Amino acid sequence: VDRRDTGDKKAGVIERQAPAEALRDLLRVPAAAPLAPLPLETFVPEARQQTPAVRQRATRPDARLHGLGQTKYIDDFYLPGMLYAKIKRAGIASARILRIDTKEAEAMPGVVAVLTGRDIPCNSFGPSLKDQPVLADERVFHAGDGVAAVAAVTEQIAAEALEKITVEYEPIMPVLDPLVSLTLETPGIHAPSSNIYGHKVIKKGDVEKGFAASFRIFEASFRTQMVEHVPLEPHSSLATWDGNGRVTIYSTLGRITLGRADIARTLAVPMSRIRIIATVVGGNFGGKNEITTEPVVALLAKKTGRPVKCTFTRPEEFTSSTTRHPIVMDYKTGVSKEGRILARQIRLVLEGGAYCSWSETTLAKACILSPGPYDIENIHAEAFVVYTNKTMTGAMRGFGAPQVCFAYESHMDDIAKALGIDPLEIRMRNALREGSLSPTSQQLHSVVVRETLLQAAERFGWNAQGGRS
Amino acid sequence: VKRRGRGIACMWYPIGFTVAANPSAAVVKVNEDGTATLLTGTVETGQGSLTILAQIVAEELGIATGDVHVVSADTDTTPMDTGAIASRTTYVTGNAARLAAEKAKKILFEVAAPLLGVKAEHLEVGDHKIRIKGFPQRSLHIGDVAERARGVNGEPPLGSASFNPATAALDPETGQGKPFATYVYATQIAEVDVDDETGEVEVLRVVASHDCGTPINPMLVEGQVEGGISMGVGFALEEEILFDAKGRQINPNLTNYIMPTSLDMPKVEVDIVDSYDPTGPFGAKGVGEPTCVATAAAILNAIHDAVGVRVTSLPATAEKVYMALKAKRAQEQRVLQPGP
Repeated sequence: VDRRDTGDKKAGVIERQAPAEALRDLLRVPAAAPLAPLPLETFVPEARQQTPAVRQRATRPDARLHGLGQTKYIDDFYLPGMLYAKIKRAGIASARILRIDTKEAEAMPGVVAVLTGRDIPCNSFGPSLKDQPVLADERVFHAGDGVAAVAAVTEQIAAEALEKITVEYEPIMPVLDPLVSLTLETPGIHAPSSNIYGHKVIKKGDVEKGFAASFRIFEASFRTQMVEHVPLEPHSSLATWDGNGRVTIYSTLGRITLGRADIARTLAVPMSRIRIIATVVGGNFGGKNEITTEPVVALLAKKTGRPVKCTFTRPEEFTSSTTRHPIVMDYKTGVSKEGRILARQIRLVLEGGAYCSWSETTLAKACILSPGPYDIENIHAEAFVVYTNKTMTGAMRGFGAPQVCFAYESHMDDIAKALGIDPLEIRMRNALREGSLSPTSQQLHSVVVRETLLQAAERFGWNAQGGRS
Repeated sequence: VKRRGRGIACMWYPIGFTVAANPSAAVVKVNEDGTATLLTGTVETGQGSLTILAQIVAEELGIATGDVHVVSADTDTTPMDTGAIASRTTYVTGNAARLAAEKAKKILFEVAAPLLGVKAEHLEVGDHKIRIKGFPQRSLHIGDVAERARGVNGEPPLGSASFNPATAALDPETGQGKPFATYVYATQIAEVDVDDETGEVEVLRVVASHDCGTPINPMLVEGQVEGGISMGVGFALEEEILFDAKGRQINPNLTNYIMPTSLDMPKVEVDIVDSYDPTGPFGAKGVGEPTCVATAAAILNAIHDAVGVRVTSLPATAEKVYMALKAKRAQEQRVLQPGP
């Protein structure tokens, strides 16, 4: 029974339609902006046209296109003869690859080419440690690793072909807990290296002296989880070669300069023969800072002589792109009677997942920021990042800061409560000021922590009694 | 029963890392009609960075934002940029764009100075004009000057520049040094309702006071703060990638990975605190990442204020809050009725 509402004059009336008519309706051109001469005129004076320009609430030129559905994302691109690529995921967290059989997939009608790790000229990349393969060839380090890719005339055929590829694995016991990983002996997951692949220390003043002078000492532990960036637009790229051996790659990359260097390295092609065009990106949040599908589509396009596009499915966004570092955070804080922090000791263990990615940067930022926006004379902060056989963690909005802020601010409220000081007041007493020295003893300028505290408190209607004014 | 609570959290966040080179380059061309084109290697990822860069170039040239067209993110045509990362675009790429526009402006000043009968250093820009400082009625339209620069002087007004926050290595033993060019600060206060029977948390309101130096575009700053808070709410209460015992994700989809929708969003009130950083373009620092930093901490403190339980691991799902409440009640029972 067709239950669709016709939606016109006969609102509320359910109309039965012949199947052929219903089918025609379903095949109608998708919703698009109504025909109108371009450019579209606005009816109000725009801040974009005002001088001076700075501090104007100028509209974004792309906002109108987004609103009208006119923005072209890579998934909207089509080049003549274009093929669609799909990547087969390991689905096992840790294993040795014994054999990959692609014969049956290659024989499928509509399948044009299959790619495995062995076809990749230089099968490793990474922003600091080059520990990540484009497609796993000998060893699987996490379940989201790609093990083979297919280019076919339709996405459906490519997806079906993945099912025809068989991979024989020799399972290896996975390491899944960062605290366990921390204690394991060398060689670790990425032999011959240790599982601890990054370490950072910040030492300022003398914490032991600070603790000795403290009225009270508080200790607490906090943990955060792994989360995804979940951009609306998944990772996507489209490669096309010309007869001179030059490749153009349309990509959702957020950093094309480094992306081009990584692509040139993995393809073993000079940079001058690679053009990266980053299109309008539908959300990044740190997740699109490194290459994913680009070498795969470039090599499949080279192999087939056809443009090739690959767009992550939503599950791949979760399993095969970077995520935010879970962190285990231990805090020890010595305070005076008045609630001034005299010493703070911190240990952070970051879970890096299967590959390094941007862990070293995240580790450093988390460590430097971990004491909080407070003027503290004695600090000892130590951070480790360890491999596990889970989804790799990397850059994500905040780079370690949301995790440590959750810890130092929860800890701060507990200290305030124990000392009977209002949460706003204890922060005001400890906040960094103009000229304060940061945990790395950098003299700070344009410091406005106290101003933000007071402004937010005023807007909220904060009063020390806990009621709301 | 629903219990109301409030929680405060402040934070700091660095802008412009310096431990490794962090450059951006830019090219500005002033067209013969007084409009301009900016070439930048950064990528628009939805945050409005290209509009910010256009505003910076427009300000430096004394023209309007809409007069600046931005060409971005093409390795064949645009200059090197470290990328849309680390909340660096306004500060680092913005400084490069401003410096490039300043160089193009210098060419215009050299052309305009003899026409206005003063030295170049006595000129300024504003309202699409090049004018004498203190005598704004003595002026030339920037388009006329640009056309003359090309057609008479034979030196088209264009400028290229790069900016890199002064690089400094940290002491490897103690980590002491200057790892970042500058920092931003913020406070967020959350108001929540916690159902003390189910553990469910509803975030009613988040007040956010943010420092970004000069807000180049206050509307885009507010947009960043609202977006950051939505990510913060998910991080605080719902989002978590779960694994089975063999290390495979069990919820890699939007059905089982729960994140806030517009219906879960609290009322967000944004204030931009007065601040000016002399090292940033027109005093600007940045705002992208810092917006999502304090939210979870403020919400968790509000939960504690509402029902007296301290959840020490994220996310604070209803289940986790409920278990904490149950444990707290059991503890209270033991205190009230000591065993035989």
